[in-house]
Amino acid sequence: MNARSAGRSVVGMIEIEHLTKRYGKKTAVDDLTFAVKPGVVTGFLGPNGAGKSTTMRAIVGLDAPTAGLARVNGKHYSEFRSPLTEVGALLEAKSVHAGRSAYKHLLALARTHGIPTRRVHEVIDLVGLHEVAGKRVGGFSLGMGQRLGIAVALLGDPAVLILDEPVNGLDPDGVKWIRLLLKGLASEGRTVFLSSHLMSELAQTAEHLIVIGQGRLLADTTVDDFVSGNGKARVRVVSPDAARLAEHLAGPGITIASPERGVLDVSGTEAAVVGQTAAAHGLVLHELRTDRGSLEDAFMQLTADAVEYRQPTEGVK
Amino acid sequence: MTAAAMTERPAYSPPQQYRLTFVGELRSEWTKLWSLRSTWIVLLCAVVFSGGLGALISASVPDDQAVGGADAALSFAMAGVSLSSVFVAVLGILTITGEYTTGSIRSTLSAAPKRLGMLWSKALVFGAVVAVLFTAMVFATFYMSQALLDGTAIGDVSLSDDGVLRAMFGYVAMIVYLALLAIAIGAILRNSAGSIGFYVGVIMILPQLATLLPWEWVDDVVPYAPGNVPNTIAVVDTSMGTLSLGESWLWMGIWLVVAYGLAGVLLKRRDV
Repeated sequence: MNARSAGRSVVGMIEIEHLTKRYGKKTAVDDLTFAVKPGVVTGFLGPNGAGKSTTMRAIVGLDAPTAGLARVNGKHYSEFRSPLTEVGALLEAKSVHAGRSAYKHLLALARTHGIPTRRVHEVIDLVGLHEVAGKRVGGFSLGMGQRLGIAVALLGDPAVLILDEPVNGLDPDGVKWIRLLLKGLASEGRTVFLSSHLMSELAQTAEHLIVIGQGRLLADTTVDDFVSGNGKARVRVVSPDAARLAEHLAGPGITIASPERGVLDVSGTEAAVVGQTAAAHGLVLHELRTDRGSLEDAFMQLTADAVEYRQPTEGVK
Repeated sequence: MTAAAMTERPAYSPPQQYRLTFVGELRSEWTKLWSLRSTWIVLLCAVVFSGGLGALISASVPDDQAVGGADAALSFAMAGVSLSSVFVAVLGILTITGEYTTGSIRSTLSAAPKRLGMLWSKALVFGAVVAVLFTAMVFATFYMSQALLDGTAIGDVSLSDDGVLRAMFGYVAMIVYLALLAIAIGAILRNSAGSIGFYVGVIMILPQLATLLPWEWVDDVVPYAPGNVPNTIAVVDTSMGTLSLGESWLWMGIWLVVAYGLAGVLLKRRDV
């Protein structure tokens, strides 16, 4: 499309190539390769200890990889002349000296880059910490600490945002606020990469998903594909003739559960088939719908597979 | 332009006017130093201690013991200054170990990922603050002590006397040296209690205790211990010391290079 973008990486692209990180004998990240593109919110999903935080620390150069590369715009983070405007990171909630005020913490970081105090006040207002900006951070709640961390990440108005569990400790208003904020930032063409163990949260915020388990890549896909590809679709039927319908539906590959009287959850078939079967036998249906399966279901299934792969158990299906 | 390209979201361009600079890092460390209450408290303690102890000792010296020339006069006046180097060293250690214990080091090194600039700027800013503060303290304590010793045999020491001014700046240099050494120890050990323990035990006390050991070679080595090498620069009559004035400066430099070399290498290599 144009000559400028042909020879170099896309602005804001995060590239992880064969990243491996060991702490002593423990392998936290194991040959991980993926890329995060600008313009969309990318979720980074994995159970606790999967290596999400380690990967994020490697991107901003705090942890050196045992092998492989973590780069932004084709560069190692430490090569940037202006790191805070390239990448803004929220790593752990409290990366702040407890005895320092929120304002002074931001000011000290701003001064490294010659960022004016006007911008410090801007980000304080943006995250809603105006009233407590002069207070010592030691007295902050978890949610206030998160807001300060987000202010730090936004300080340089960066092209790439890396946020480790940003919704942790936020109240429902805060969660809604950050969801809108991140979508807005992505729509400006920035790269937004956030980790979470709250799968439902990512489903509402992210368009793209990177899923890891035990330091390995499990999926690199869109949220929609992830859910439809991994979630077990099932048909929910409500019928006064549920018991008889179940008899007619039964067959190989079809499982039927009855969570309550008059309700069936049928998997292994489609709603159309269930409807036809009911019509053929003159059975009344009050409700017939397909549940797509939640991101949570999909995630559980995928990580369960990963565990089975690493620890094969015989005789258990 | 293709249709696909037109539906793509616009490329975001971050602000171009900001740069990570060493001057910026210095200003950042200055802001960090003065934004902690502990800095004010510890430096206030150092000032009160060095001035107060100097005055107390000078005032309580009996006239018949106030003899021994300019070195005696300075040792009475500067007793508190020497001891308050502990406050300064502890504060120096805390400027860096405090970042590790609270986690703020992650913010600091995310903003300055080359890392070494953080170490140099911390050392420069703190060293400069200590130099200015203790230059003032050394002179204030000297005049105060001389006023209290007035009328005794050592009550008329003048700054223009041979070696007096040099010895007074020697006290300042000694304290700055110990402060810088403390920062390097903090950067190496990264733990407040461990670093303070190491400083007090190994830098301050061990050389004193070592002289009690029965081996002769210990006496030969002790003057070269990091805590002892600045002794010569803070006396008026340098002929008494094991190290000459030049050797004293040289060994202070050697220990700083060793300490900062190790601190720098570890800072680059270790994960944060």
